[in-house]
Amino acid sequence: MPKLKTRDLLGQLSDLEVTLNGFSYEELNAEEAKELKKSFNRFKSQLSDRIFGSDRSEINEPVIEDNSQLKVGNGNKLIAHASHEIRTPLNGIIGFTNLLKEEELTPSQFKKVDAIQTASQSLMEIINEILEYSKLTAGVEGFDAIDFNFHALIKDVMFLCQTLIMDKSVSLKVAIAPNVPKVLLGDPSKLSQVLLNILGNAIKFVEKGHIKLGVELKNVKEETFVLQFSIEDTGIGMSKEQLEIVFDSYQQAEKSTFKKYGGTGLGLSIVKEIITNQGGTINVKSILGSGTTFEFFIPFKKGNINNIPKNKQKTISVSQGRKLLGGTRILVFEDNELNQHLIGEQLRKWDCKTFVTASAKEGISILNDENIDIILMDLKMPEMNGFEISKTIRSIENKKISQIPIIAFSADFTAQDQEFCYAAGINDFLLKPYTLNELMIKLLKRKKERNLSQATLELLKQETISNNESDHVDLSQVLQECYGEIDMLEELIRLFKQNIYEFIGAVKIGISNENFDDIYKAAHKIKAGLALMHTNDLKSLIIGIEENCKMEKMESINGLFKQFLNLYPKKETLIDIEFEKLKQA
Amino acid sequence: MERAILLADDDELLGSLLTFRLKKAGYLVHHVRDGKEVKEFLSHTKPDLIVSDIMMPYFSGIELINYVRNELLLQIPIIIISSAGNEENVLSAFELGASDFISKPVSPSELLVRIARELNKTTI
Repeated sequence: MPKLKTRDLLGQLSDLEVTLNGFSYEELNAEEAKELKKSFNRFKSQLSDRIFGSDRSEINEPVIEDNSQLKVGNGNKLIAHASHEIRTPLNGIIGFTNLLKEEELTPSQFKKVDAIQTASQSLMEIINEILEYSKLTAGVEGFDAIDFNFHALIKDVMFLCQTLIMDKSVSLKVAIAPNVPKVLLGDPSKLSQVLLNILGNAIKFVEKGHIKLGVELKNVKEETFVLQFSIEDTGIGMSKEQLEIVFDSYQQAEKSTFKKYGGTGLGLSIVKEIITNQGGTINVKSILGSGTTFEFFIPFKKGNINNIPKNKQKTISVSQGRKLLGGTRILVFEDNELNQHLIGEQLRKWDCKTFVTASAKEGISILNDENIDIILMDLKMPEMNGFEISKTIRSIENKKISQIPIIAFSADFTAQDQEFCYAAGINDFLLKPYTLNELMIKLLKRKKERNLSQATLELLKQETISNNESDHVDLSQVLQECYGEIDMLEELIRLFKQNIYEFIGAVKIGISNENFDDIYKAAHKIKAGLALMHTNDLKSLIIGIEENCKMEKMESINGLFKQFLNLYPKKETLIDIEFEKLKQA
Repeated sequence: MERAILLADDDELLGSLLTFRLKKAGYLVHHVRDGKEVKEFLSHTKPDLIVSDIMMPYFSGIELINYVRNELLLQIPIIIISSAGNEENVLSAFELGASDFISKPVSPSELLVRIARELNKTTI
């Protein structure tokens, strides 16, 4: 299910709801009117379930009689929705505060504006955490079940933690029992989130001594492997009272201690939700003044190494990385301080010259002053989002700057986002949390392919259509299949376009990862739709792509795909024209 | 009485068109997109007939037949939608108890005829 533009959709629904409430029910009897409202509410809540990826949407669920009950049950969901809504105006506040700071202000005014900015940014952080927490507790946050290399994940997590320790005399130890499976099936990104959170906390509170991560196989039942993780530190520890509330939401053990590090204190509540939502448990033991031990259990299934995309298994050592990337000048757009630190640290290990900024304006001035080779772009930036910043960069007149490759990163990409990426001139993307190898491979590709990425851009500009196209699309047969209902035809055309965009996104990723299987699946999936719309020339290109996937011929796939990208926009225009004609008829 | 059909197809486009046509023909239709949703639906509702694509996420059409016949022990008709070049799969589908199959590109009218035929068989 592709992600819809939630806010737009929900906005429209609310409008609809208001209209419905104000509707005169004179023609309906009371019973019918009640039924209508009820079915609307049911529809709305099912729809929001779908959008937020809940797999709990029940089909034949009994109609909820009492309205207040519905509200209680959806309490957290309402918070999740509300948080989304709060972010929009808050983005406005932050944006305008930035603009205000550029005006000529007196020092005292500047100080006040600065305070507004700091306050609104920390409010934003809090809202993001609340959003995540309420999504988890409302059960609308989905969990992945994918195969992943457990040992590699631990290695990456430990590497990131090592960079956080910096100059403290703290040693980081890890011990994985030999009987822990190498490949697991579960949610690797949630597992890293949990580990980074607990280990990150430990690093904050340990001044000297050690932090130890232990992983053991607790038990195996049928196909389920329960892993036991223990994280022991020699930090400041917690008192009994603190221990009791450590997982509670909105509780911070020591306000002054946490102040330095920000956040809502929801971190551990989120960790607990993530673990229990996967059927696990967590507990904590601590002695004030001498240390804390977190222990948690998560059930996994055994994974299959063949399901892990091959490029993720490639490993590049730090010294190799230095040889390959040393001296590369990289600009990173990232607003989260922790991430700023992490990525800066990673790139410095490879001897890259790194510039990190949270501001679009500052970033562009760095582009003007420094000779940047590659841009890394977090898509979720505070003032302008990553797409907008990328578009701005692409529109800069100085070609040396406007053609710098951009690699985007984000925690959640939909196929549509990927299409937006290309439209904004973004050349490549990384899904968070990424491994160092993935980052390295993407950087190397872009470093080598500066010319090719320009070709991709050119390709996207070719969407101007010649009018003397002799080809023509026949939708009358499709309309017949819809019993002449023009609305149904319109819906099919909409789905057709959506399928194509998803296909284009999937194939682009498949090509960059050299994943023939993914390309094959994407091509296969789209065939029925192409046949339905009688676009046989597109279909024959797709069959060609399928065939070449079987033979693993990347060059031919690339060629056919380029032809497809060339042909499709023309087809889409023809379809739109044909549809308008049928609509008028 | 309205007959209920479970339609399992991950292709939104074809799925929407078939849902539309089946509803017009007077059936109750429930459209699911993958194997998880199939299982979830079958856990509380027994349709009169299942139409399923052979290639789906999580759970192929073949697995679906096996699940319905050997785990749920249901004898309701199952019509498989197959794509060209998948003849072997069609054979194993029949071995496992598929009632009929239709090849892509699917003609909705043909599918309607096949559905009606299967449902008539079960009423006799």
